[in-house]
Amino acid sequence: MSIARMKKLSVVGHASIRRELMLKLMELGVVDIVSQTDKLAADSQWKDLVKPVSRESDVVRFENWISKVSQVLDAIAKYCDLKAPLIKTRKPVSAARFEEVLRDRSDVEQKILNALAQLGNLSKLHAAQNKVEAVRLSIIPWKELDIPFEIHGTHSTDLIIGAIPALASRQELEAQLAAKAERAMMLSFGQDPEQQYLAVITLKEDGAAVNDVLKSFGFNRFHQGDMEGTAEENIRKCEEQLAQIEEKKNGTIEAIRGFREYQEQFQFFHDDLVLHRNLASIKSRLVATRETFYMEGWLPRAAAVKVEEVLLEKECYFEMRDPEKDETHPVLLANKPLSSPFEAITKLYALPDSRAIDATPFFALSYAIFFGMMLSDAAYGLILTIATFVILKKMKPEGMTEKMIKMFFFCGISTIFWGAMFGGYFGDLVTVVAKTFFQADVAIKPLWFNPMEDPMKLLMFSLLLGGIHLFIGMGLNAYMAIRDGRLLDALCDTGLWYILLIGLVLLLAGVAAPIGQWMSIIGAVGILLTGGRYNKGLGKLVGGLGSLYGITGYLSDVLSYSRLLALGLATGVIASVVNTLGSLAGGGITGLILFIIAFCIGHTYNMSINALGSFVHSCRLQYVEFFGKFYQSGGETFDPFNENTKYIQIIREENK
Amino acid sequence: MNTDAVNLLFNGGFLAILGAAVAALAGIGSAMGVGIAGQSASGIVAEDPKKFGQALLLQALPGTQGIYGLLIAFIILQKIGLLGGAGLMDLSTIQGASLLAAALPVGLVGIWSGIAQGKTAASAIMLISKRPEEIAKGMVYTAMVETYAVLGLLISFLMINGIKL
Repeated sequence: MSIARMKKLSVVGHASIRRELMLKLMELGVVDIVSQTDKLAADSQWKDLVKPVSRESDVVRFENWISKVSQVLDAIAKYCDLKAPLIKTRKPVSAARFEEVLRDRSDVEQKILNALAQLGNLSKLHAAQNKVEAVRLSIIPWKELDIPFEIHGTHSTDLIIGAIPALASRQELEAQLAAKAERAMMLSFGQDPEQQYLAVITLKEDGAAVNDVLKSFGFNRFHQGDMEGTAEENIRKCEEQLAQIEEKKNGTIEAIRGFREYQEQFQFFHDDLVLHRNLASIKSRLVATRETFYMEGWLPRAAAVKVEEVLLEKECYFEMRDPEKDETHPVLLANKPLSSPFEAITKLYALPDSRAIDATPFFALSYAIFFGMMLSDAAYGLILTIATFVILKKMKPEGMTEKMIKMFFFCGISTIFWGAMFGGYFGDLVTVVAKTFFQADVAIKPLWFNPMEDPMKLLMFSLLLGGIHLFIGMGLNAYMAIRDGRLLDALCDTGLWYILLIGLVLLLAGVAAPIGQWMSIIGAVGILLTGGRYNKGLGKLVGGLGSLYGITGYLSDVLSYSRLLALGLATGVIASVVNTLGSLAGGGITGLILFIIAFCIGHTYNMSINALGSFVHSCRLQYVEFFGKFYQSGGETFDPFNENTKYIQIIREENK
Repeated sequence: MNTDAVNLLFNGGFLAILGAAVAALAGIGSAMGVGIAGQSASGIVAEDPKKFGQALLLQALPGTQGIYGLLIAFIILQKIGLLGGAGLMDLSTIQGASLLAAALPVGLVGIWSGIAQGKTAASAIMLISKRPEEIAKGMVYTAMVETYAVLGLLISFLMINGIKL
């Protein structure tokens, strides 16, 4: 079984050991503790007996600290230009070291607060900088105005400065001003794409008339505020202020960089807080009386012994039982080492229902085959295999990432195999190089055949693989029906289709045509008669017809596998395009240089785009064609209560 | 009628090259599709620059039509001897016209499927802006469109492969 068998666990214990027990369970990390909210709501007797444990304020306090620490860690990464690693891994750390680093918690807390204060300063400086910059920008247009800003006019004149929209006509404004107030004077200070900057000097007695004219042109007065001195002086002042702020900012950033030496400690602290938060928040899933607590959860059967030991040690009363029929439980996929990397593909789709079956072991092989056939170049496969192998060994990724990379490792091996079968090594690199540089005629013979020469053969092979793949999917559907005691369904929905489809293939291929003919007829009639068996009245007939019409679906499903050929050809042909382009300059040194450039760029591009294509299309063949036949998704993820830390992984010595 | 023009139109070599050109037109679809997806990608990267890689992956998907077109164009050019030292073969009108006809599926399907796939990729990019963990589903939706470009490629390839020169 590839969905791990689960056991349901119920525990009653004394309140005094609750925290220790939770800590132990968290270290074990195998029990998915179930929330009791539903049960409390549904069962009134239960509700009178117990009450939920909640210590929300604790959780909030820890959350608060976690976000503070994260903020500081982000800032350190940002200002020290630390590149996030391509693959995130948690650093293994011994429990003793963990304790040691965090021995002086108040010291760490103080450091975090100091760092936060610096961050606060930084954002204040940012705001100040923006403000001064805005003022500076608003003064720049008046650079040429040599009248200090504090002077708004003389005894009998007014100085009005401001701007009109760029679209308004200055000439017209000037003309109108001359008409309304002939002694007004207008000075222009140039314009930018939005506005034209003007200063108008007018007699105080003409002030109202001038204002009216200006208003009609959409004049926007410039407010000098309490600025003193000429525009140029003010600009200089702003620039000085900006320089000061910049200096302070640099100082603050330097101070933040100084916290880098504590980065590791902060990360430890972060994870410690996460653990505390989890311990605090898991309590909300328990219920308690005055002296005892009660919890329920799921655990994989394989882990039962260890959990039992812990529970016995803590002197709890507990029960473990298998799930009842039709009871859903959280889903944990547990496959053999060879197929477990492909769980990544299953998870990307959706987890299976806990009562259905996990598709992973049934498609792992075909996924690798399809990927290999579509990438179909031994050299690309080798690169993929080596790259993923190195990542696995050097970076030691965890969880989904590890599975994904292992999966590509297997796919790479499959690609080498199919590349060798079809004779693709960087396309026809060897042939082209031999011809261009050594005037020799060399070719690596494919182990099987070259699809370029006989594409029909590969097309047939692809469709055959597709047929087998689909039959496996249908077979799994029948298996589930039989397991659930629906023999008739297995026979009608899968058996009859097997008969019809095999019959049709025999008939069309001309092998044993008479047998094929009879099989087709039996299958078709059978489907026609039984397809509507769950419908009523006329629906029985229509349902049968509808079912039989489903044969078009099988046709298109099988044809869909022709992409194995098409994408495989695409890789090979593009690779040979690259090689041809490289060889255009002929032999010699220039030719060699051009060839190397074309080789590096072209093959990198071809490999990445086709690896992406192979991944996506292999997924599609599984998700649409294969899963469509039988897969029932909808399971809840098995999410055990564990140490889901971000930066470190605490290694504990087994001391039993 | 202008005999020069007629001679040109019914010249096998010209028709075959026209076929290669039509196949390469699939690049129109890819260019538009990648463009559409790129617009969405910039939008979400503005919100969260960390999604650049994921968005780029989705943006690359509609790019394949252009590659399929190039592939068929290349095969045609190789088949009629325009690539490599041999020089253009003598082709009959029928041969040239057949190659032109064979190039139509990949060229035409490529244009429209590229655009459609670009739109799907754009919405898949929107999907990852909200749920980055669901990128595989977005990719599969996008790949559904590509199926038809693959079929166009396949049929063009089989036709060209079947034409005897």
